[in-house]
Amino acid sequence: MMRKMRFAALLLALLLFCSMVACKKQSGKTKYSAYYFDYFDTVTTVVGYADSKDEFDRVCASITAQLEEYHRLYTIYNRYEGLNNLYTVNETEDGVHNVVQVDEKIMDLLLYAKEIYTLTGGRTNIAMGSVLSIWHEYREAGMHDPAGAELPPMDALRAAAEHTDIEQMILDTENNTVFLADPEMRLDVGAIAKGYAVEMVAQQLTADGIEGYILNVGGNVRAIGTADGDEPWSVGIENPDTEDTETPYIAYLHLSDAAVVTSGSYQRYYVVDGKNYHHIIDPETLLPGEKYLAVSVLCRDSALGDALSTALFLMDWEEGRALVEFTPNVEAMWTLPGGEQKYSSGFEAYTFAMEK
Amino acid sequence: MGTNDRKKIRNDIILAVVLLAVAAAAMLFWHFGKVEGDFAVVLIDGVETARYALDTDTEVVIHTDNAGENTLVIAGGKAYVGAANCPDLVCAGHRAISRVGETIVCLPHKLVIKITAASDAGGVDMAA
Repeated sequence: MMRKMRFAALLLALLLFCSMVACKKQSGKTKYSAYYFDYFDTVTTVVGYADSKDEFDRVCASITAQLEEYHRLYTIYNRYEGLNNLYTVNETEDGVHNVVQVDEKIMDLLLYAKEIYTLTGGRTNIAMGSVLSIWHEYREAGMHDPAGAELPPMDALRAAAEHTDIEQMILDTENNTVFLADPEMRLDVGAIAKGYAVEMVAQQLTADGIEGYILNVGGNVRAIGTADGDEPWSVGIENPDTEDTETPYIAYLHLSDAAVVTSGSYQRYYVVDGKNYHHIIDPETLLPGEKYLAVSVLCRDSALGDALSTALFLMDWEEGRALVEFTPNVEAMWTLPGGEQKYSSGFEAYTFAMEK
Repeated sequence: MGTNDRKKIRNDIILAVVLLAVAAAAMLFWHFGKVEGDFAVVLIDGVETARYALDTDTEVVIHTDNAGENTLVIAGGKAYVGAANCPDLVCAGHRAISRVGETIVCLPHKLVIKITAASDAGGVDMAA
C-alpha cells in the first residue's frame, strides 16, 4: 500500500517536472533584429521572430516604408517636393501662414494633439514650436562648439512664449486644411509624433496579421503580439543615471501587445558651464524640466505613452500620479534625481527580476 | 505508523521538494537564458561590420562615414566607447556593457554596439 502511494507520488512529481519544463512553447522561429537611422532623428530598432530572414526583411520593409512616410509628413526641418508636411504648415509668406491642405495622417495627429493638450493640462503642447526652435538652435550650436555653448536669452524665450496658444491652430476637418492664425506661431510635434507613428505602424502590422515583433523608435517601445510562442517580450528600461556603472537597467518589464515609452534627460542634451540642459522644456519656466531623470509610461497605446511621458516628466509627482491613476490602463515609473524610483499602483505587476 | 514509514514519508517530501526546485531552476534558465554575453557586435548603419569576443581585451577604432571615429574598448569582459569624435559624446558617456541585449548607440555616426551570446536566447529583447 505504502509502496504504491510512494510510486504514485513519484510519478506525479515527475509529471509536474516535465510539464513545467515543457510549458514554454517552441515555435521553431528565429529571432532577428535590424537598426535604422533615417526616421525622426533617432535610432529605430526592430526585433522579430520569423521563419526566415526573407520573411523578417519583408516585414522590416513594410515597417520602414511606413515610418518613412510618417517622418516626411511630421518633420518640421525638411521640405519635400510635392508634399505638404508640417514644415509647409510652419512656413510664412509675407509674414503670415498659408491655409495648407494636408494628408489625413497629419490631420489625425493634430486632432490627437488637441486631445492630449487637454488631458495633460497644457504640459504636452505642440504649439510650443517658437520656444523649442530657440532651444534647438542653441543646443545644435553648443554641441558643435562646446567651448562657446550658451543658454538662450530668457527675454527671447519669453517673447516666443507669447505665441504658443494651441487654439490658434485652426483645423478644418471638412477640407483637411490647417491654418496657424498667429503668424509668429510654430508647431513642433516632437513630444508626440514618434509614439503616434509607432502606434499607427503597430496597428497596421496587426491588421496585416503580423505578430511576434517589437519596435523601438527613440525610446518608444511597442510590442506587436508576443515574443516566441506565447512568451512575453522582455524589455530593459535603461538606468538614466549614466554615472552608475553597476546598474544597466532600472526595471525589467514583460510586454505583449503593449507599449512602454520613456522620456529622459540623458539622451538629448548639451552642456553649458558644466551643467546639462536637455530637450524637454517646461511651458511654465521655459527651461528644461528638472523634477526627474526619467519617466516611463506603460500602456496599450504608444501614442498615449509618448504624450503622457512628456507631461509626467514636467509634473509634480502627486499631480502626475493622480493623472496616471485617473487614466485607465496606464502605469508609470518615475526616477528622481537621486536615483530613487516611484511607481503607480499597478506598475510593478509588469516587472520581473533578472538573475545576475 | 512505524518510524520507518515516517522516514519514508519524510524522504518522499524531500524528494518532491528537490524535484520542484530543479524544475523551477530549469524553467528560470529556459526563460532568461544566458545573461552575460559572449560578443560585442559592431553595426554601422544597421550592417554588421565586426564582432569581438568579450573574453579578449582589445582596443579598436571604428571608422564610420564622414571621418567618424569611435574607439571600442573591450576590457574585463565588458565593452565601452573610450573616445569618439561625434558632437554629442553620448556613446562615450555610456556605461560599459556586457549583458545580452545591451547596446551603445552613437546617433551621429549611425553606430550600434550590441552584446550577443553564442546562443540567441537570453537577456532582454529590447533595451529602452
